[in-house]
Amino acid sequence: MRLLILLTGGSGCGKSSYAELLCTHLPGPRYYIAAMQPFGDGSEEKIARHRAMRCDKGFETLERYTDLDSLSLPGGGTALLECICNLTANEMFDKDGNMTDPREKVLAGVENLCRRCGHVVVVTNDVGSDGGGYDPATSAYVEVLGKINAELVRRADAVYELVCGIPLVRKGELLL
Amino acid sequence: MILIIGGEGAGKRTFVRSLGYRGEDMADGVLDGRPVIFHTERLVFADPDSADQLFDSLREKQVVICNEVGSGVIPVDRRERLGRERTGRLCVLLAREASAVVRLVCGIPSIIKGSI
Repeated sequence: MRLLILLTGGSGCGKSSYAELLCTHLPGPRYYIAAMQPFGDGSEEKIARHRAMRCDKGFETLERYTDLDSLSLPGGGTALLECICNLTANEMFDKDGNMTDPREKVLAGVENLCRRCGHVVVVTNDVGSDGGGYDPATSAYVEVLGKINAELVRRADAVYELVCGIPLVRKGELLL
Repeated sequence: MILIIGGEGAGKRTFVRSLGYRGEDMADGVLDGRPVIFHTERLVFADPDSADQLFDSLREKQVVICNEVGSGVIPVDRRERLGRERTGRLCVLLAREASAVVRLVCGIPSIIKGSI
């Protein structure tokens, strides 16, 4: 059985903890696909915190910042992808700041995880809910990420919005 | 303790008044003897690194009102970013402790944990 679960919510709402909890109830082996690059904007702190959180939960960590569509995994088990926001930024902007449309690569990446693992939990974020007014590149990112989220929701079996650590069901049923 | 969350101007204090509390029962972002505190996020933003220390005082309140500040583009500024994240984490702790959590959207309350 193939199962794709999408988790969304604001900063610090408990998405990662809940995602890990979900994965411990899904079949192993468990892969943690880390899309966050370890530099800038507090990412080192965040990576260290996430590593500590999942250290005893039996995940194999795979750092993969782009090209999830060609990621090779043994097959079976559960993948936790954290997160669509980072993956989208990585696929969208190269090191010189050149832009390409990331939609196809991000969606093909998630599709590949689903095909190989069967059970996939994907974390994303609601980046569109603020006052806006960003530079054109950031605005384009916000818009395309919204579209990717909508497409992932369409494909997902279950979608939960995390609010203060509480999962609110937006599609499908609560697994736990 | 009841936790009330929602965006700025979402109707959180109006809802708390409907529970029988008056304006003078509500402290604006300060920890004092009043049973209700609002603008809890401002306490966090004032010193994001010490946010965890607020928990013990807040759990003693009858009602904690906090803005949801975690959505939107993650700020580049460290203090802004930490303020948002620590506000979220504090609310996760408070929600775990709370007998009820109510989320206000456009003045509409949804009880997302427990009952009132």
